[in-house]
Amino acid sequence: MSAVSPWRGELRAQAALFVRAARTNFAYKPAMLLGMATVGLGYAVPMLVWKQIYAQPRVHLPVPASQLFPYLLLAAALNFCSSMGVEWRVGQRIRLGLIATDLLRPVDFQLTQLAQALADVWLNTVMVLPFVGLSYLLWGRAALPHDAVAFAGFCASSLLALLIQFAVAFIFVQTAFITLSNYGIFVARAALQLTFSGVSAPLALFPPLLRGVAQRLPFCHTIYTPVSIYLGSISGRALVEALAIQAAWALGLLVLGRALLRLSLRYLDIQGG
Amino acid sequence: MTFKSVLCEQLAKSYVRRLRQPGLLGAVRGLFHTDEEVVPAVRELSFSIERGERVGLIGENGAGKSTTLKMLTGILMPTGGRLEVLGLDPWRQRRQLAARIGVVFGQRPQLLWDIPVRETFTLLKTMYRIESKLFEATYSEAVKRLELEPLLGVAVRKLSLGQRMRCDLAASLLHAPEIAFLDEPTIGLDVSVKEQVREFVVEMQRRFGTTLVLTTHDLKDITETCDRLLLLDRGMLLFDGSLRDFEKRFATERRILLELEKPAAEGTAAELTRALEPLGGVVVECRGHRVVVSYQRDGAAPALTQCLLSRLSVSDIVLEKADIDSMVASIYRRSATLESGAA
Repeated sequence: MSAVSPWRGELRAQAALFVRAARTNFAYKPAMLLGMATVGLGYAVPMLVWKQIYAQPRVHLPVPASQLFPYLLLAAALNFCSSMGVEWRVGQRIRLGLIATDLLRPVDFQLTQLAQALADVWLNTVMVLPFVGLSYLLWGRAALPHDAVAFAGFCASSLLALLIQFAVAFIFVQTAFITLSNYGIFVARAALQLTFSGVSAPLALFPPLLRGVAQRLPFCHTIYTPVSIYLGSISGRALVEALAIQAAWALGLLVLGRALLRLSLRYLDIQGG
Repeated sequence: MTFKSVLCEQLAKSYVRRLRQPGLLGAVRGLFHTDEEVVPAVRELSFSIERGERVGLIGENGAGKSTTLKMLTGILMPTGGRLEVLGLDPWRQRRQLAARIGVVFGQRPQLLWDIPVRETFTLLKTMYRIESKLFEATYSEAVKRLELEPLLGVAVRKLSLGQRMRCDLAASLLHAPEIAFLDEPTIGLDVSVKEQVREFVVEMQRRFGTTLVLTTHDLKDITETCDRLLLLDRGMLLFDGSLRDFEKRFATERRILLELEKPAAEGTAAELTRALEPLGGVVVECRGHRVVVSYQRDGAAPALTQCLLSRLSVSDIVLEKADIDSMVASIYRRSATLESGAA
């Protein structure tokens, strides 16, 4: 083994894994094109629904249409970018016992999964870019970041959002050690994400009780917080606070996921050759 | 400080098996209550392996071979006993151990499915932090001996089983591990690939002094690559020793096979039985041109052969010792008989 410091060695290995995983994702061109078509549909349908709602006479919503549409576009884009195959990938490997081969590598299992998840994000970002471009054509200045600070805050917030999204999925997938199935886990996590992240509507449109619940869960920090920062709805001191809360969630959930993995591996059960 | 490659004392592993009830109603009931049973997979296993030893681990399906290997490599946590591999606790120090061992699971591919073989190898170089000089040496040796050159640019998912296994084996030994754990490395392979795999394993072991622990159902893997045998039966160690000791202990039955010039006359079997019995021989078969006599006593062959030649017109004669396959098969049979007797 070469005399590289453990951390540098780990990072190099994870970077190499990221590159390979990203290349693998791009290798499946038909799936990529299908993914792009899905993004388009995911964009278009909610737009049309909300357009219909706003077109009704005597409808007064707390968020004006000029703010809502850019929000929904960005929320859909961010949601798609941060879709990671963690549950599918890890769950499948636990179910089939292939996790045995992952555990035999001299690298950190959680970081390895993060590297692969980021490779998914990279592919998703490439796929979503044309649609983001389209949104600028449709909504003009309203779809641009509020100001330079908002853009910088959005970048930092999106990075933290990805960590939260990954950490939540990583925690959920631990249940596959018991259930040996990844389908239910994915559905459960996706449902919570859809309900509480603010991808379907800004939290301001939620009923007060549901909004209260959403604000106390990590999901809203994966979509609502970064998009609100981008559009300038969260700024100044509130922006710093929002980033700090996101960082706390990310760190706490990553540490919890690590602890759960250690516990789960005690009960790992791989029978057969 | 010197330490053994592997040291395990009273090692045990039990699984909890959920018992599912049959039918749709059973599935619904299972939502609320599931019966469980504890299945011991490995029981009080004690052995040690010195550096550079070549050890074969054999046993019937479900004997606990793979479970033992998974504990030795740190994947599974033992439920009892003490285990040290290269001075480390495999389960607690799994990542440190992983850098020093190489593992092949014949039934679980380790290569990255969607990228070419060459890229997996270079990824492993980074992952295992293999120095370029060592990598060049192990890589070129593997490519040459396992004939991997035409496969290097092919995505793993497009390889045949034999090709994949050769690549898997190369991948597991690129970092010249101190111990190689090979779990059924020749499963499903044709004879020529098996031969190639065995030759490569022996060569790498000789070159790097790697400790070799191999499980298999093909006992030729053992005779050609190992010099020590551990025989497991229902999670317990039934035999631990050299192949020579194993033969001494279990290859008790030997046979004399005769090909006659003319078919054996009626009454030959009875006559031979009477003549051979005092010499320790038993007529196993006497039909047509063929006579088979078995014996167990050391040094009985000359007298038995002389007796047979004086009574029969023999065109050919062969002395046969039980091979390792039949020895192991007879041990399994004996063990199963004892179990059913006890039941």
